[in-house]
Amino acid sequence: MKQYIRKADIILLIVLIIVGLASTAYVAMSRTGGDTVIIEQNGKMYAKYSLFEDRSVTIEGKHSTNIVTIKGGQVWMEESTCKNQVCVRHSKISAGGESIICLPNRVVVRVEGKGGGYDAVTS
Amino acid sequence: MQSQANSPRKRSSAQMVAHIALLASLALIFSYVEAIIPYNPGIPGVKLGIANIVTVIALYKFGWKDAAAVSVIRIVLAGLLFNGIFGMFYALAGATVSFIGMCLLKKTKLFSVVGVSMAGGVLHNLGQLLVAAALIEDLRMFFYFPVLLFSGIAAGIAIGVGVTLVLKVLKY
Repeated sequence: MKQYIRKADIILLIVLIIVGLASTAYVAMSRTGGDTVIIEQNGKMYAKYSLFEDRSVTIEGKHSTNIVTIKGGQVWMEESTCKNQVCVRHSKISAGGESIICLPNRVVVRVEGKGGGYDAVTS
Repeated sequence: MQSQANSPRKRSSAQMVAHIALLASLALIFSYVEAIIPYNPGIPGVKLGIANIVTVIALYKFGWKDAAAVSVIRIVLAGLLFNGIFGMFYALAGATVSFIGMCLLKKTKLFSVVGVSMAGGVLHNLGQLLVAAALIEDLRMFFYFPVLLFSGIAAGIAIGVGVTLVLKVLKY
């Protein structure tokens, strides 16, 4: 409590900002124009659609239902039976690498680009 | 009473229960206030976490055991009352990682309250992200990392400044 801001705080802040900027750059570089929508359930591939064909997809789980809408090159979670509704409030996604994740129902909606360069990250 | 504030172990168990209960209920109110504020940044996990002001104050004023108790009680009650069971486990994971990190940083005696809190904010988000990635079995979750990192820094600094101000006037 002697000093409100100490040297170590500044160093920590700088380190964190550098990590942040580096990861931002990394994410920005791997973000390409998306063209495919991939839906996963329980970590497994559920379905794959083109981003440019409008449709509504219902994903049935054991105790859950999620409805995903693809329209005008954008994807969003229309409805979900989960309690927190984080996925429904999530902004619409369209770029490669972006995803909407419904953790309670373990559903992932992901947009991928042509490059498909994410395998290096996943594996 | 005044002299005992600096030596937590000398308190009677009744005093300890009273302290922890008071702080936990204060933290719970903060949780509730945050839960009813309708704001939605579009990205899950970005929030201020004002209840952590109480956790950090407890950490500095009463030691890590009390702070851990306050934090766990607050998260469990908030989970049962309004955040949902799922959010509860999620928050517990973040709080555990963040709490261990804050205790370690505090022990080095190199960091101020703001620095410790900033690290806590970042680690809280990192802990949640790790749990989310494990649950969903997908490391692509880490595309959220930059946003959560910066929001963790900002929230942590805000909380740290708040705690610094409170500790300055807190006589007890």
